[in-house]
Amino acid sequence: MGTTTARAAQPAEVKKGPGAPPPGAGRGGAARRKRSMGVQNTAGWLFSTPFLVLFTVFMAFPILATLLMSFTDFGLRNVTRPWEANFIGFENYTELFGDEKFLKSLFNTAYFVVVGVPLTIALGLVVAVLLNNGIDRARTFFRVGFYAPVVTTIVAVAVVWRFVLDPSDGLVAGLFSEVGLTAPDFLGSETLAMPSMIAMAVWRNVGTVMVLFIAGLQAIPTEVREAARLDGAGVWQEFRGITVPLLRPTLLYATVITTIGYLNVFEEPFVMTQGGPSDSTLTVSLNMYREGFNFFHMGYASAMAYVLFVVIMGITVLQLRLLKDNTK
Amino acid sequence: MSRTARTASAALTVALALGISACGSSGGEDVAADAKQTLTVWAMGAEGEKLAEVAEVYEKAHPNVTVKVTPVGWDVAHQKLVSAAAAGTMPDVAQMGGSYMGEFAELGVLEPVDTKTFDKKDFFPAGWNQGEVDGTAYGVPWYVDTRVLYYRTDLAKKAGVDKAPADWQEMRDLATAYQEKAGTKWGLSIQPSGLDTVQSFYPFLYSAGGAIVDDKGEAVIDSPEAVSALKEYGAYFDKGLANKSVQPGYDVLKDFGNGRVPMFFGGPWHVTLLDEGQPQIKGKWAVAPVPADSTSASQAGGSSLVVSKDSEHKAAATEFIRYLTDAEGQADWYARTKDLPANTTAWDSGKLAGDANLQVFKKQMDTAKSSHPSARLTEINDKVDQAIAKVTQGKASAEDALKTAQSEIEGLVKK
Repeated sequence: MGTTTARAAQPAEVKKGPGAPPPGAGRGGAARRKRSMGVQNTAGWLFSTPFLVLFTVFMAFPILATLLMSFTDFGLRNVTRPWEANFIGFENYTELFGDEKFLKSLFNTAYFVVVGVPLTIALGLVVAVLLNNGIDRARTFFRVGFYAPVVTTIVAVAVVWRFVLDPSDGLVAGLFSEVGLTAPDFLGSETLAMPSMIAMAVWRNVGTVMVLFIAGLQAIPTEVREAARLDGAGVWQEFRGITVPLLRPTLLYATVITTIGYLNVFEEPFVMTQGGPSDSTLTVSLNMYREGFNFFHMGYASAMAYVLFVVIMGITVLQLRLLKDNTK
Repeated sequence: MSRTARTASAALTVALALGISACGSSGGEDVAADAKQTLTVWAMGAEGEKLAEVAEVYEKAHPNVTVKVTPVGWDVAHQKLVSAAAAGTMPDVAQMGGSYMGEFAELGVLEPVDTKTFDKKDFFPAGWNQGEVDGTAYGVPWYVDTRVLYYRTDLAKKAGVDKAPADWQEMRDLATAYQEKAGTKWGLSIQPSGLDTVQSFYPFLYSAGGAIVDDKGEAVIDSPEAVSALKEYGAYFDKGLANKSVQPGYDVLKDFGNGRVPMFFGGPWHVTLLDEGQPQIKGKWAVAPVPADSTSASQAGGSSLVVSKDSEHKAAATEFIRYLTDAEGQADWYARTKDLPANTTAWDSGKLAGDANLQVFKKQMDTAKSSHPSARLTEINDKVDQAIAKVTQGKASAEDALKTAQSEIEGLVKK
């Protein structure tokens, strides 16, 4: 043992010999290191410049501009004369909370999130667990099948779903008439439009969640499972006692991003119902888009954006607190 | 942060930044009409594609002028024009829908029409009015369109009716007869709710003698005329003659072709679409003037041509617009696009004078009305859309719905 170490150390010493700094060069070395740190810093800044420039111009500045705008009455005429917008303090914000349409859109968004997020997460988890150990054959086929809606454009999705939900000659209507029933008009009914929208969103997003969970499941060491099984744990006990707790970080991440995505829901109602019937699928983002780009109430729409932003921040922080990993 | 909010703010910021930089560039000297120059022209949709051909012909006759036509899709037209207005990069000449006019006049980017070159009397009154804001004309009418009644003659015969409905009562009777005797699913296709429902309501509103905003700029949507029009409109849904739930993007022509919907209000472009898309019903349908209440009146649509205030080629631009809108240019344009000429003298000869279907459109155009131009037109129409939806979904009476709309629109026109 001792010999090996000595032999290993020898060449290193030999190599070090000629390159060893002469005595008294210590201070110069530190300065050089400092200079090279400076060079490295410059290089670092240079490399991040493209990102920083894009971020400042297209993110930071608009975000600030929107904040400023939300305190003004910025309207159509200010598009050519931006400096004529009047500063009106919190008027947009106070007006928002008396605006029935905004409150309704807030309610609709909450409805969408409260029902949609748990459904997506639960379904995603079930699918992931099944694909991870239940189904062996055609596993790739199912994975692709569940992930395909995620990468399909919303316009194509909307066309397909309109065919599925069409009250007169859609797929669902056809199935209903097979058994002698009349299918309800899903998108035309105020009570059914939102659940239909949620069903579509769950179908569209379950793939993303599934992929996250599959990755999480594969990171769970098999030893833990084996130990549980040796101790006589059943399938359900293993799921509750091993899978879910060890999947907690993934669960947290999936919940947070799904919630944020659902709070921002815009495309589904925009292409499927345009917020109708009678505003029953009008979400905050869609309402904001209408106020801003159809009616040119830019100030008002900016205020709406900030209210939504605060809501999202609040909910995300809350989720991070509640689902924090307590095992470490 | 929200995706939409981000897009919104990004768009605005770019607009702002460009707007600031553009301030210095305006106010250039005007170039004379016969000097060598390039005209930039924006035209939308099908017009954008066809205009390049006309521009080539124009260039041959005017070798000193190069016309650069940029086709712009209707779906992005409004946003592009607003951005251009903000950035001060408006083209010399632009096509503009009647509904845009109020907004862009408010933005102050349009040059008033040279009334020495263009005579109001040459054009359909409703066409000219679309380009006029607060008494100043900003747009020269290029082409017009209006909606008339399309109906299935073969199914009408089956239902025991052999002439077009002339008034509201006859139209309702025909719709009922279609359903009961000819076995159609619906009697008439009119939009129940959603964006632009007001488009199908106009024939009722104007025929009753009502309006949303009158010529003086006052909201009048709760007038007895408007109430009776909305009652009649709502009755079609009450009695199951019209579909209460229509998806966005619904295409009426397919259902017209297979006989589920025997009547709808359509524009001149539907003639071509029906000939090409539903050839099996050729000769089995006809167009008729909008059935009358106190009169027969429809909504005027179409586009005008405007000159940008910042343009340095105003003289040449005016010359080009004159070429497009005189009788000869308009007849040529009709031959190329089937767009109905806005210039009435173009209707005096050729196919336009002889064709029976086209004459129905011309007659309708004579009495057609246009919306009072306003920078808040989209918002005003949205309030009316909501009132109509309340009535067709059986949530409010016509009186109550319009009273609400009236107070909302009063607030909008005053601002």
